[in-house]
Amino acid sequence: MSDVAIKIEGVSKKYTIGKQKENSLRGSFGGLLKSAAAKGEEFWALKDISFEVNKGEVIGVIGKNGAGKSTLLKVLSQITKPTEGRIEINGRVASLLEVGTGFHPELTGRENIYLNGTILGMSRKEVKAKFDEIVDFSGVDKFIDTPVKHYSSGMYVRLAFAVAAHLEPEILIIDEVLAVGDAEFQKKCLGKMKDVAETGRTVIFVSHNMAAVEKLCSKCFLLNHGNLEFSGTSSETISKYLNSSKLNQYFWERSQSSDNKAYFTSIKVYQDGQLDITTSGKLKVEFKYQIQEKLSSLNLHLALLDNYGQVIFSSAPEDSGIKKSLEIGNYASIVEFPEDLLFPIGYSLKLILWDHVAGSFIHHDVNEKIRFKPIETQSLINKTSGGRSGILAVKCNWKIE
Amino acid sequence: MSNKKIIDASSKKVFPDLKEIFRYKDLFYTLTWRDFRVRYAQTTIGFLWAILQPVVTLLILTLVFGRFVGVETKVPHILFTVAGMSIWSYFSYVMINSGSSIIASQGMVKKIYFPRLIIPMSKAIVGFIDFGISLLIMVVLMIYFGISPSSNIWYAPLFIIMGIFAALGVGIWLSALTVRYRDFQHVVPFMVQIGLYITPIAYPAEFAVQKLPDWAATIYYLNPMAGVVQGFRWSMFGSEAPGDLIYVSIGIIVLIFISGMAYFSKVEDEMSDYV
Repeated sequence: MSDVAIKIEGVSKKYTIGKQKENSLRGSFGGLLKSAAAKGEEFWALKDISFEVNKGEVIGVIGKNGAGKSTLLKVLSQITKPTEGRIEINGRVASLLEVGTGFHPELTGRENIYLNGTILGMSRKEVKAKFDEIVDFSGVDKFIDTPVKHYSSGMYVRLAFAVAAHLEPEILIIDEVLAVGDAEFQKKCLGKMKDVAETGRTVIFVSHNMAAVEKLCSKCFLLNHGNLEFSGTSSETISKYLNSSKLNQYFWERSQSSDNKAYFTSIKVYQDGQLDITTSGKLKVEFKYQIQEKLSSLNLHLALLDNYGQVIFSSAPEDSGIKKSLEIGNYASIVEFPEDLLFPIGYSLKLILWDHVAGSFIHHDVNEKIRFKPIETQSLINKTSGGRSGILAVKCNWKIE
Repeated sequence: MSNKKIIDASSKKVFPDLKEIFRYKDLFYTLTWRDFRVRYAQTTIGFLWAILQPVVTLLILTLVFGRFVGVETKVPHILFTVAGMSIWSYFSYVMINSGSSIIASQGMVKKIYFPRLIIPMSKAIVGFIDFGISLLIMVVLMIYFGISPSSNIWYAPLFIIMGIFAALGVGIWLSALTVRYRDFQHVVPFMVQIGLYITPIAYPAEFAVQKLPDWAATIYYLNPMAGVVQGFRWSMFGSEAPGDLIYVSIGIIVLIFISGMAYFSKVEDEMSDYV
């Protein structure tokens, strides 16, 4: 018996854009009369993809929106047929492109478990055997005989995921289903996925959540415009993806006016006397904002984010002892970072301002519009013997006695 | 290796994989049961709708054809009509609902694989609600008029099976066509409306055969339900035995069913791209 779970050879998938017209009888009759040139534009969602997945591997598939990730999953799970190529699958497949497929609002939780379970490929017997476990995992046992239309969206998702989590296929294909539910439930789901992966099952996982991909997957495929651009270990592939997709963006300006009572108009990052951002010296962030209504207290935050969009640290005017109210008008601020702080890795910035004014909540943020990857120059990082690890170079006071 | 699956872009399916459909029997069962459960959910008079509709149709047909037109039948006109209407209402339910079934389950079709044929097929079972209710009305009327079924009743299952295949054949065609051409959503109600008149439900089929030239009578039986309705009623009450023209209806049912399955297989792989 071979160890290959999935083998894909030269798979392509073509869609024809602008098929709406052809979708009607008139379009079809018209198509008979007109030349073929009048037909819609062709679009290759996947182009000549070949790869093998061994049994027990957990594979992440990453790429920008429209890179072909979902199409790949659809082709793999037999929802749509490839235009070219051949796929060989060894083992029972379950695909989870959405949680709660086929859920009917009029039916009770109990009935929907059976419905959804059989849709996902379980037999009624299997569902029955796992019923208690599923209900337990979902935590909606009190409402199991209530129609799901009365459920909160959180309960609905939990029940739906609970069914999916109890599938026992040899190959599991999952699309971004973790992007639902509250943080605690997401954690539970990730844990369950990890269990699945550890039992030696083959998993193909598409996600935008790089942290989850890195945690779960041993190997990754990077798709770009329908091509398999790169495959390798998760960390390799992720960094390749992040580097290719996020170019330096030192300046941002608001393109239209805002209804907000207070909002940012422009942001810029720079270092004195430098064209590019480097790892040495002080990084400066200069931003302008407009206040349309008097603010009783200014709440302003600047955060430095990593490539995954997670906050590394945040800073506020209070750092310099500033605490004041603001009249209507235009303002500018300059924030200076400590010297030699940055690594040669991708960062982005987030700016937030908010206030309570007479019961109404003012809030505005600009997220990840500014991105930069400092160029490595002489700084703390390479001045240290053996280099430094981490994502920030923080200078601390040392004493050796 | 029982679980090896090969998807090859160059291979074309010509006929549905019946073995695979059988493997998905639990899903078939669940979908059918779901339709049963939700059919009259949230309506105030619920199941009464299932009785009210055929009763009203029956009364109107009897009033128009029995009273106004004065169609002569061996058994009371209302009884004559209910026999034809029972199998017709089964047919029209299955045709309407399986026709739109793939579109109605597009959420599932886009997100998961299963043999798509299960969807229209499950409607053929759900349609038995309507059939059963009409039969019940018929039994009540038979008791009221003191009429017992004819000795031909053993043929009834044969005509019911013909009805099922006719309904499924048309339903499968329509479900596949509606995915590609939404126009068929408007065609189906029209077909039902026409069918109610061109099928010998409220009048005997002989009327049509006698009044039409031979070639036109053959065309009349191209309506698969012409033979089914006539035959089913004959098996109940014994009047107007179906002539040779019923073979036209049988032939067309076989043709529609097999070609429907073939067309469905041809477009099945790409349904998720169109819905």
